Amino acid sequence: MSFFFTRALDSFLGRGESAITVPSLDGALRPNRRLDDASERIPIRAPGAIATGRDGPVVSSGRDLHLLSGGSAGKVLYRATADISCLAPVAGGIALGLDDGRILVTGGEFDGFELSPLDGARCPTAMVADDGMLYVSHGSAQNPPSAWQRDLMERNASGSLWRLDLRGGKHHRLAAGLAFPAGLAMSGDGLIVSESWKHRVVLLDRTTGAMRRLIQADLPGYPGHLGHGPNAGYVMTMFAPRNQLVEFILREDHYRRRMMAEVDARYWVAPTYRSGRSFYEPLQGGGVKHLGILKPWAPTLSFGMVVLLDQHCLPYDSFQSRADGMTHGITGAVMQDDALYVASRGDDVVVRLVPGS
Amino acid sequence: MSIADTIAYWRYRLVPDHIVGEILAKRWIDNAIPFTILIVVLVGFGVAVPDFLSIGSMTALTRQLGEFGLVVIAMTIVMLAGGIDLSVGSVLALANITALAMMNIFGLPVGAAFVITLAVGAAVGLVNGLLIGYLRLRAFLTTLVTLIIVRSIVDMLLLKYAVQISAGFVDSDLWEFIGDGKIAQVPFSFALFIGIAIVVHLVLSRTRPGWHLMAVGGSRRSAHNVGIHVRRTVCLTYVVSGTLAALAGFLFAARLGGAGSDTGIGLEITVLTAAVLGGNSLGGGRGSAAKAALGAITVMIIINGLVRVGAGSGANSLILGLILLAAVAIDVRWLKNRHKVLAKVYVSPAFRRLPDPPSTERGSASPYALNDRLHDVSVIGLGEIDGPEDVILDENDHIYAGTRTGDIVRFFAPDYSQQEVFAHVGGRPLGMAFARDGALICCIGGMGLYRIAPDRQISKLTDETNRTPFSVVDDARLRLADDLDIAPDGRIFFSEATIRYEMHEWPVDGLESRGNGRIICYDPGMDTTRTILRNLNFPNGICMTHDGESFLFAETWSCSVSRYYFGGPKAGTVETVIPALPGYPDNINRASDGTYWLALVGIRTPSLDLALRMPGFRRRMARRVAPDEWLFPNINTGCIVRFDERGRILDVLWDFGGNNHPMITSMREHRGHLYIGGILNNRIGRLPLPDADPHWTGPQSYWGGK
Repeated sequence: MSFFFTRALDSFLGRGESAITVPSLDGALRPNRRLDDASERIPIRAPGAIATGRDGPVVSSGRDLHLLSGGSAGKVLYRATADISCLAPVAGGIALGLDDGRILVTGGEFDGFELSPLDGARCPTAMVADDGMLYVSHGSAQNPPSAWQRDLMERNASGSLWRLDLRGGKHHRLAAGLAFPAGLAMSGDGLIVSESWKHRVVLLDRTTGAMRRLIQADLPGYPGHLGHGPNAGYVMTMFAPRNQLVEFILREDHYRRRMMAEVDARYWVAPTYRSGRSFYEPLQGGGVKHLGILKPWAPTLSFGMVVLLDQHCLPYDSFQSRADGMTHGITGAVMQDDALYVASRGDDVVVRLVPGS
Repeated sequence: MSIADTIAYWRYRLVPDHIVGEILAKRWIDNAIPFTILIVVLVGFGVAVPDFLSIGSMTALTRQLGEFGLVVIAMTIVMLAGGIDLSVGSVLALANITALAMMNIFGLPVGAAFVITLAVGAAVGLVNGLLIGYLRLRAFLTTLVTLIIVRSIVDMLLLKYAVQISAGFVDSDLWEFIGDGKIAQVPFSFALFIGIAIVVHLVLSRTRPGWHLMAVGGSRRSAHNVGIHVRRTVCLTYVVSGTLAALAGFLFAARLGGAGSDTGIGLEITVLTAAVLGGNSLGGGRGSAAKAALGAITVMIIINGLVRVGAGSGANSLILGLILLAAVAIDVRWLKNRHKVLAKVYVSPAFRRLPDPPSTERGSASPYALNDRLHDVSVIGLGEIDGPEDVILDENDHIYAGTRTGDIVRFFAPDYSQQEVFAHVGGRPLGMAFARDGALICCIGGMGLYRIAPDRQISKLTDETNRTPFSVVDDARLRLADDLDIAPDGRIFFSEATIRYEMHEWPVDGLESRGNGRIICYDPGMDTTRTILRNLNFPNGICMTHDGESFLFAETWSCSVSRYYFGGPKAGTVETVIPALPGYPDNINRASDGTYWLALVGIRTPSLDLALRMPGFRRRMARRVAPDEWLFPNINTGCIVRFDERGRILDVLWDFGGNNHPMITSMREHRGHLYIGGILNNRIGRLPLPDADPHWTGPQSYWGGK
């Protein structure tokens, strides 16, 4: 009873759950433009997922899996029948999650493995392999990975975490009811999962799927890909920023429903990989150009953000691209040979960075 | 229209939400609460006590009220400057005994006694003023001490002179009249009180010392910074307070003619209650003589009413104390929250359904299809000019443009690399036009309609129009004169974009989309200004058609262009020319072939078009989301459209991405080139028009060749 009362009061006064405040970028997340300043930029159309491969980083572009070599997109390693949504190195090969929900492996010990989509698990967003086991997160039970904006606007929390036995072919659901898990990383006997729509990173038990610890909460963006980073730490990307107007619209059910029904998805008031490309996109007050210049601190629906976490998962450094930047919509970042390869889906580029330099 | 839209349409059409905010924004709203309390008290006692509202009862009441009210005014003046004067009761007693002594013992004439009495009060006030104003002692403690000291003096004087005073007798008609006389059925003291209240009101609201006093109370530091003598002002308030209290004491002496030891005891609390209950702020800077009078009347009625009801003297004080407490609480809360409430309720979005926008798809058959025609724009004054909303060229090909800093800048032909400030007008120069005599007529945001003669003489044409009947907001003053054009007979028609918001708040007006704008006509022959069209949706560009009896005007938030006839058979009617534009129209100007150029400052976004149909959503957004985060019309990309009087789109010029020329608010054709201005731009664009008449100029088109 008191719970409902508090909620009603919060909703009326705009407090608690109903608050639309967005945390500021501070500490290790202090604004910078190091993603834009990176010296090496490898053009590639819509790089989606990125993973470490035997001969160098591999990156997906639509249906194609490219090998990055010598500063160019290089050759196509594999062509899938649907858009690739996530990648993971597995026993000498690469596991691919597809937009239609299928999971398959190419190369290495498990070459040829394929799993058809299961009910409620058609949205592979991230994978991580460990000794014949493949852990897969499915972002949503309703939408494919490419429809993540709709999933956010529907305010779903229907994601799940699965364990596949690549040898035996058995699959097992570890956890459900996650708010768009979009990143996975191993941590001892636990799994670090980024829960995008709740702007948080949690540690789950690897065998039971039970939540052990809240690692990071109230992040200023939607956390996506997770991976191992330098200094025995991790690297986390945020594929889109949180925005006060979006937070507000997420609490405006009527407007949101009508927007989904009546407005073309490209022009929604929703986070995106790349904003500002069309004059039909929503504009916010601070985004008006003055004297021909878009302010870097303008409110934006897209940005670039790669965060380095230490071994305790505390952020200590970040690489960013601000509202006026040109490296937005970071869908993945991997370490290979002491360099960090960052896939910018919004700006059709893979950026090579050397952390610590 | 869907059912939800229909309901929303009628809901926002029938309920005038904006009135609440407009009433709250009024300064007189501060008086609303005290006035209500007065009415409640009057009605309450009128019902509870028989004969309470009879003439006799009222006369007795007003006789006391005269003296009491004067002391309340004294207290109010001190409070307005941020102080408090607790010694008023003692001063009244001292003045009472002084006046009686002068009259009864020394037998002085009334005039001399009057002057001496006031001088005594002023002297006590001066002591307070010197201590508080110049030595910066605490007002509360200082006047508490003077209260005690003056009271002791009164007691000592009483011991010495009480017998003599009561033994003396005054034989003076004037003295009698002051005590008991009436002016047209009104007791003298009450008439004097009303007279002084009016004088104080005029001084406070209309004179320099009054403004100084209010400024000191409002913010001591700011008052000091602007050069007001803060210490002297504070000191003088106590002198005035002492004098007024002494005047009240003089009246008291004349009315009762006796000196008692209880005269004026506890008066300071009653007076303070009245002043605060009337709505005068304890913190200073906010209040008026009218509020003092309201409070005095209310408290007097309560005191008398309680006595008539039969409440004991203890209960009387208790109730007064509680009222003071409540009044102070309301004062504090009201002051603290009024602007918050106002900020929340002032913005009241309306329902607006825009027609579906025409397509702009590149390569489509739409007349608005995207192209890169503005790619060849060369820029003038890049980085040297801040916000040329409008540009205009004279017969010598010089460019004139208004800037954000309130200048009208002139770029010299032929290469436009040199510039000078043609005139500094202040405000925000917006639309411009050349009159027949070569003077530049300019709409200046925040100021009005101005004329700049060729010799750079600046003169105001008009800054006010007739007030809309029954409007709550006083819309006589021009807030945002936007664009103008001049009819062949010399009359100037200009648009005022909004009457509810200031110039820099134009996005709020867009969020509201209520139709707060108007078109006004200034007649230089008669020097009159009349509003001719009201409730327009941010009327912006205005351009005379070639028939000499009508003009075209653009309404930005309704994305339309209309035509108004001011002469001919259709005089007074409005016709829609372009009902649905893909974006937000700004200025309109003539093209060389008899058609018209129209600037689209931004393009409609589907998300905002939807929000326009959901006023409740926009209202909540205005309340909860920071303005920099609001959903805005997309004014980062614009275009230029050419159309004819039938509303056909003949041409469209785009600069997609806006790298070369971001933001377009106006354009002017001149000798085969198009000159482009933008209100948030740092450049003027220049585009060659190969097909245009290379000799055509605007002034020639309007006023013929030389």
